[in-house]
Amino acid sequence: MLYWLAGLFLPLFPLSMGFNALLVRVRNGPLRAVLLLVWPQLGLSLAFAASNEVPDWVLIVALFTAALYAFRAIALREMGQWIGFLATSAWALLWPVLMSGAEASPIRLYALGFSVPLALLALLGARLESHFGAAYTGLYGGLAETLPRFSGVLVFVVLAVIAVPVFPGFFALFNTVVSTTAAAPSVALSLVVIWLLWSWAGVRLLQGLIIGPANGIEAPDLSAAALWSYTSAIVVLLISGLYFAGDLL
Amino acid sequence: MTLPVGQKLKIRAMVYVAAEPIPFFWPMRAFIHHNPLYGLERLPFPEAVEKGARLFHGRGFLRRADYQRYLGQGQVDQAALAARVEAFAAEREPVPGIDLPRWLMALLTETQNPLTGAEIMAETADVQAALHGQAPPSPPPDEQAIAARLRGALLGPVPVYEAVDLLHGTDVGSELDELVIKSCLDFFDEGQSVWGMPGRERGFFAAWLDLARRNGRLYLSGLHIDRVLGSGDSPEDVIADVMRTLGVAEEYWTAYFTRELARLHGWAGFIRWRSSAKHYYWNERYPADLVDLMAVRLTLALALLKERGRSAVATAGGLEQAIEQHTRETYLHYELHSGAVLPALAARVEQTLAANRSKKIESLFVDYVRRKRAHEAGQLVVKLRDLAQRAGDLEALSALADDRLHSLLDTLRGFERQEGMIWLGAMETHAMNRLLEGINLEPSPPRDKRPFAQALFCIDNRAERIRRHLESVGDYQTFGIAGFFGVPVSFMELGKGSETHLCPVLLTPKNLVLEMAVSERRGDIASVTALEKVLHELKESVLSPFVTVEAIGLLFGFDMVGKTLIPRQYNRWRRHLHEGKPGTHLLLDKLSREQADSILRAVQRAVIRNALKQEFGLETEQINDFMVRELREAAMGKGQGAPESAKLLKLDDAAEEAFIARLREAYRINPSIVQLQMERLGRLGFSLDEQAGFVGQALRSIGLTENFSRFILLVGHGSTSENNPYESALDCGACGGNPGLVSARVLAQMANKPEVRRKLRSQGVEVADDAWFVPALHDTTTDKLQLFDLDRLPSSHVVYVDRLHNGLAAASRLCTGERMPTLLEKSARLEPAEAFKYAQRNAMDWSQVRPEWGLAGNAYFVIGRRALTESLSLEGQAFLHSYDYRLDPKRRLLGNILGGPLVVGQWINMEHYFSTVDNERFGSGSKVYHNIAGRFGVMTGNLSDLRTGLPAQTVLENGLPYHQPLRLITVIEAPFEHARRAVEEVTSVKFLVRNGWIRLLIITPEQGTVYVYADGQWETRRTASAPEQPLIEESTVS
Repeated sequence: MLYWLAGLFLPLFPLSMGFNALLVRVRNGPLRAVLLLVWPQLGLSLAFAASNEVPDWVLIVALFTAALYAFRAIALREMGQWIGFLATSAWALLWPVLMSGAEASPIRLYALGFSVPLALLALLGARLESHFGAAYTGLYGGLAETLPRFSGVLVFVVLAVIAVPVFPGFFALFNTVVSTTAAAPSVALSLVVIWLLWSWAGVRLLQGLIIGPANGIEAPDLSAAALWSYTSAIVVLLISGLYFAGDLL
Repeated sequence: MTLPVGQKLKIRAMVYVAAEPIPFFWPMRAFIHHNPLYGLERLPFPEAVEKGARLFHGRGFLRRADYQRYLGQGQVDQAALAARVEAFAAEREPVPGIDLPRWLMALLTETQNPLTGAEIMAETADVQAALHGQAPPSPPPDEQAIAARLRGALLGPVPVYEAVDLLHGTDVGSELDELVIKSCLDFFDEGQSVWGMPGRERGFFAAWLDLARRNGRLYLSGLHIDRVLGSGDSPEDVIADVMRTLGVAEEYWTAYFTRELARLHGWAGFIRWRSSAKHYYWNERYPADLVDLMAVRLTLALALLKERGRSAVATAGGLEQAIEQHTRETYLHYELHSGAVLPALAARVEQTLAANRSKKIESLFVDYVRRKRAHEAGQLVVKLRDLAQRAGDLEALSALADDRLHSLLDTLRGFERQEGMIWLGAMETHAMNRLLEGINLEPSPPRDKRPFAQALFCIDNRAERIRRHLESVGDYQTFGIAGFFGVPVSFMELGKGSETHLCPVLLTPKNLVLEMAVSERRGDIASVTALEKVLHELKESVLSPFVTVEAIGLLFGFDMVGKTLIPRQYNRWRRHLHEGKPGTHLLLDKLSREQADSILRAVQRAVIRNALKQEFGLETEQINDFMVRELREAAMGKGQGAPESAKLLKLDDAAEEAFIARLREAYRINPSIVQLQMERLGRLGFSLDEQAGFVGQALRSIGLTENFSRFILLVGHGSTSENNPYESALDCGACGGNPGLVSARVLAQMANKPEVRRKLRSQGVEVADDAWFVPALHDTTTDKLQLFDLDRLPSSHVVYVDRLHNGLAAASRLCTGERMPTLLEKSARLEPAEAFKYAQRNAMDWSQVRPEWGLAGNAYFVIGRRALTESLSLEGQAFLHSYDYRLDPKRRLLGNILGGPLVVGQWINMEHYFSTVDNERFGSGSKVYHNIAGRFGVMTGNLSDLRTGLPAQTVLENGLPYHQPLRLITVIEAPFEHARRAVEEVTSVKFLVRNGWIRLLIITPEQGTVYVYADGQWETRRTASAPEQPLIEESTVS
């Protein structure tokens, strides 16, 4: 029963639909951010509380869920949904780590490494919604020209979400791939493919928002204080990424 | 099914008519400035701009913010702006309580973004409700109106794939463009690729089809060309077949083709030019025209639609059905994928359409339309309130009744549509005033002695600066004339086998001029050239870079380091290696028939001697003249074989006959070849009468018929830059995008002939006996003035050469001192010597994207005496053509100036205008991303349309206009009737003036009256230097 519940919080298809339905309903940016930070931690707590071993079939479902949501995210235009799908895909990948018998604290850090960039993105998305009515790609491209500060932050946050070096997500995934390569190469290969799909989805998201001619809609850019806050968060992510790298050395 | 000939011709005609609005694109080896809307010049300027903007998805005027910046800098005539606004307001229905002119001025000068913009759904009642903070009325959506809008956006001449993309968010259009560009790159390559496309001799469509049928990449992408083609293989068959399959009604075909061609107008313009060019080597070898392009495009479009499109709507009929039967769903699809969807509802629209439940779609449609109207009305009201506040009429706005508000909105919408012309007109008025205030109508005082030197410069606006400085440093008199000096020449350079046309593209030269060496080449040049050729071939070949990079890669590294770190010194050294071109003379004189015959005989004799050596291994002493003559006559069919030669060569009858046949076939000694060569030799040079005619006409056209100086410099111009595909755009446009030196040499050589001078004298042109015409070159990048053919200078003149050199050098330095600050980031004042150094570096720096501003800044075309503008610094903005109406009673000279140089000037002006107002669409974007395509054009990135206009670095500075986009302000100094009739007699210019592509002013020198052609009539005013006080806008002349 605890695993079933954990499957809701570390979303496994079809239980993952619950989380995504909830995220769509939560329109408030900070609330969304909190939800993104807390949700997988709840799942991990439930998983650690369960005494028996995780059944083997969970690995297949987890990989399927991660791949499915990563693939669907490529075509998504609404940022809120995109965040939900990436979160689902990323958190589902915590199952292989759980099943490898890793200790609790690194897994919680991995979850945070995935969640923090998503939470930042949720805050940025909320800002777009308040200015333009929606955080939606392809409607008001050219943000790089009109909102250069916002665009710069958005690019780094999306890069962190899709786990490029040297953000924590990268090392979390890299560790997982390295640790599974010898025992289950097919799992490692699946992880790499899912990772590639994230990159594709991230590039499409940025392309639909940042690139192209400005459409003339006026909106205020990030204030200096907001810029500093986001920059600090990104720097913290980068530094913590280096901490994650310690596992590799 | 194969079409009958009549149908094929009809389709061909449709494609040609459809291509009319697409401007030619000439290969960039000789960049030709052209009007991007040349095909629309038959329309009045505002109409053409509107149509062109629609067709090419470009902007015809600057953004409002740019005009406001000009206003702030004092470049817009405020009074003229206000007058135009008043005039507009006077034509509209007044709105009680609203001061329309004040509103319109506030809109123009105080707000940055358009108020009305695109067509909106919100009606006046919605705006009224939003204005008063009430809930918008919610009548049921007018489905008929929505269906009509959809039909306009998706049917008729709109390509079917564009409609599919707009409805389904597919990207068929971009994919199609990419495939067409790849096909064009393959076929039209002019030697850039190492491996050429096979079968190109058969024409574009045939070669493409052959390859496409076997193209694995197309097949793997699901594009099965064979399956989409009908039975006919000709391009016309394919076009008809595809258009019928797509279900496009025949009445729309021409407009449909225009839309198709406009998507890649650079490639279409190149193919259009190529197919109509006479004797264009690549087209003769690999023929192609727009019908081929259309067939390729349509075939690929159909294949893509079948693969990527939604089969249910991938025809015009299917689209029509979707609009009629599923208006609501189609509308929502259109909103979502055309980018017009309300952001707040985008996700809901997307999800509802994906769910595809008709009830949900219907309820969303009603809700969506209601909210969209409210949203649009709300946005409009925010802007209206802002405007009302600026105009001080906020209360009056709130008090407006529905019909008044409707009228106000209608007026504002109409005004914003005409706004561009209002700004443009006011800027042109400012520019005209500036010119007229400085113009001098006083007759030139008589000179007590002739000038030290006279210099004829090109009319090019870059010559204005150097002329001014040359006049300031000594006793120099300058004139302006088209840079080919009125002599259309086809030139064959020493060591090259092809002809270059040195004249405006409007003309086709009849006479050929050859360059002949008169001294030996330096010995080591051949080895340097050979080494370069080897390196080039190694670099270009497919395999050699892999195997030679370690061995010789370092050589390229040295080159890179030298060019980058010490460009001046390194390039000077490299040029030193090439200083091997021997002294040359031009073959200018026409050959008599006897001379041509002698030349041909001599050539034939030499060929026969070579043939004897090669075929029989004979030594020189074994070949005698008798043998050669006999063989030549036999080959030419004038004798019965060559028995004596056969005897000497020990040939039997059959061998003798075979050798004579070989002379005819392989060595081309036969009557038909002789005939052809005689015709070619007939083109060589000019007769004495022609030479005297050209020289006389050139001198009379600029008013120089007496008082000749000792030196008459004929100054052509060219430019020097490195790594610059646009180099020829900086050369002389009047010489077909080539340097003007050869034209200067041609005219100088003609004018220095005693026989020509005698003839000139009989025409009333008294060239002094000691006057000597000296060709010169003005390098517009460095402003260096260099004299040529000094070896021909009479000894009596040598003593003055040093003074001449000094004067030219001083003018060069002063000119760079004035010009260089405009090119530097910090426009600080520079000492001339320092500026000269900067200019030298610009010419040699391969990383320099802006070696000079070129023709940017052009605004005026002045036809008249130099005295008119002599005291005025026009900062390189004016084309100056010297002209004295008193020497032209029949207006022929003026007609020539109008029909040639002025038209070229207008092309240059319009190229700059449109490249400035929308550099991405009408210009060519940033040079930084440019790549050479096929050796004839440039593309942005690795795959794009051919970039046709000017790069951003030529017309923009830090993203803002450097060139002031104005229509060419043309001034003719002549009596009114004289000039007016001359304009009426040149049809092309008459329509350019009437349609507002040129702003024409006529200044009558004796009365000082200025006639300005505006809005279809002549207005008069007086100049500041006229005998009486200025009198503005005094009357009109019918």
